[in-house]
Amino acid sequence: MSDFPSSKYDRGKIFAKTGLKVGTSYAKHYLKNLRGSSDERNSEFYGQTAQQIFSEFTKLRGTALKIAQSLSIDQGLLPDEFSEVMTQAQYSVPPINRSLVRSIIKRELGGYPEQIFKSFDSTAIAAASIGQVHRAELKTGEKVAVKIQYPGVRDTIASDLGLAKSLFKRIISNKDELDEYFEEVESTLRKETDYIHEGETINRFHERFSSDRYETPRWIEDFSTERVLTMTYLEGVHLKEFLDSDPSQEEKDHFGQLIWDFFHEQVRDSDEIHADTHPGNFLFTNDGKLGIIDFGCVKNFPDSFFIDYLRLLPTHLNRDLEEIKELYFRLGVLKDDPETNEKEKEYFEFCLNYGFTFAMPYQSDTYDFGDPEYRDMIRGYTKNAPIGNEARGNKHFLYSTRVHLGLYHFLMKLGAMVQTKKSREVVEERISEEVG
Amino acid sequence: MNKIIEEKIRISKCGANLYLQNTRFTMSALGEEADLQKDKIYDYFSNRRDVLDFFYTGLLLEYKESTHSIKGYSEFTLSEKLGNLALTLIDLMEPHREFVKKTYWDLVGCSGRRPPFETHFRDELRAIYESDSQQSRLSMAFNREPLFKAGTYNFHLLIRFWLHDLSEGRQKSMELVDKWTSFVQELHYSSILDRGFDVAKFIFYNSPFSKNKTSTT
Repeated sequence: MSDFPSSKYDRGKIFAKTGLKVGTSYAKHYLKNLRGSSDERNSEFYGQTAQQIFSEFTKLRGTALKIAQSLSIDQGLLPDEFSEVMTQAQYSVPPINRSLVRSIIKRELGGYPEQIFKSFDSTAIAAASIGQVHRAELKTGEKVAVKIQYPGVRDTIASDLGLAKSLFKRIISNKDELDEYFEEVESTLRKETDYIHEGETINRFHERFSSDRYETPRWIEDFSTERVLTMTYLEGVHLKEFLDSDPSQEEKDHFGQLIWDFFHEQVRDSDEIHADTHPGNFLFTNDGKLGIIDFGCVKNFPDSFFIDYLRLLPTHLNRDLEEIKELYFRLGVLKDDPETNEKEKEYFEFCLNYGFTFAMPYQSDTYDFGDPEYRDMIRGYTKNAPIGNEARGNKHFLYSTRVHLGLYHFLMKLGAMVQTKKSREVVEERISEEVG
Repeated sequence: MNKIIEEKIRISKCGANLYLQNTRFTMSALGEEADLQKDKIYDYFSNRRDVLDFFYTGLLLEYKESTHSIKGYSEFTLSEKLGNLALTLIDLMEPHREFVKKTYWDLVGCSGRRPPFETHFRDELRAIYESDSQQSRLSMAFNREPLFKAGTYNFHLLIRFWLHDLSEGRQKSMELVDKWTSFVQELHYSSILDRGFDVAKFIFYNSPFSKNKTSTT
């Protein structure tokens, strides 16, 4: 039940302390390895170091923890042990003081939990970067989930991003272009801390998706404010618990298909896209539905970007190099002709091959995401990305990649076999609608 | 809470509202505000100061009553109980912020006598500390009057902070309570003092330079 460090000093101190701890661990590890190295020892070491980072990052909550979540999605960038531990950051950080929870509810909803609800579980069922969730029952008997925002979390957005920005500016050569990426992240995070905005999004998704395949909560507006969000409670298990229950391949395929279709149905409508595709935001319900439970990070990509992004799929499937090159120019990935510029050639080749790998599931009518070779290929690209000292690509890539990579990693973890024919048609239809 | 206490709290809140209009309000005016006969008011309070004092005492009584309705309150940690005390009192003061701003230091904070609020507040701190079994042995030994006095003084400072807190939803005050109570808990739960005391005791009894040679090991 730790306190929340909101000042720039407190948060900077935790960053520094984490760096020191990790540095010490690396020094110890290096000394050990002088006496001979082994994979097992590396794994143990990475696991321990990741735990240290995790315990410090969870104290920070807010923006810093969001960064940790992003790292856990982009597998391949970090060793397996790191990604696994960072995944915990998605829904299991230490909850805040129970008396603070009561006081926040009193301030926001006008009464203490025992006055407002028929029952209120003071122990959080999930605690993540921006807020924590409690189970409760309304006086009408309806079961609800109450999300409570940590106090001061909005103030940390500017200070954490300021810290990150000053760090990036030391590395990145095109400093001026960095601002638009940070503005995009900041505006998204600010929206995530506005629970009224999230409540309205919940209702729109409920209208769009609630069916015999998907279960989404309903927003309970009367019990919600900018910092407290009440929604109907969904029963179900997260990916980890589902896999721990030793499910059959058929069950894995069923849920894999649901999340794959959920993603493509959003592409078809393309009004709003759930941009936080990590396991903590999805539930597998007992009656075989996919539950979607967090709508804080939902994006409206402008058509000018989104259609070009979608076009990458058919152009890669058709191996139309000229069209692909043109798209990468338009999307800001290429800045010069790869035929004449060596650096651009390196970027182009990387993007081309990564694109081919990303398009692979759409090549045939069925795709097995459980194939370990495919997982290694994706991880290999992330590891070998030509990371230069400049920011590249349209700012919307920040979240479109997060959605896409999140989806693929989810399916790879699930080990699902997915029917992809229909989704390929969805993407093509969406593009032709726009062209038409 | 019995009916008389409830009525006294209601009247004292009327008194707080009246005070903002006229700092020297009469008991007759209070009777009108509380919709009671003047004589009835005198059954409860002897004078205006008594009414205003009871406003603060009443907050503590309301707080105490609220703890009975918190599920699992007895399992709260030290920081949660201290946090609950501070935050509930602030919550109760919030609708009367102007009154608190005008009177807290005169009636509670810097009062020459020990105001009833302070006596009750110290009693509550004693109850919280003495009912917590997770504290280290040494910190339990410090559960004495100076600790409760210091705790009361910290609360006065918190009220001063809260009165100047312009953050949305007074989030800064919440954060301060959270940080402060976590710090206090860390101090009281830490076994480092116990370990330090053990070492000091061992050295004291076993040092070859000590005249007292009674071994503890």
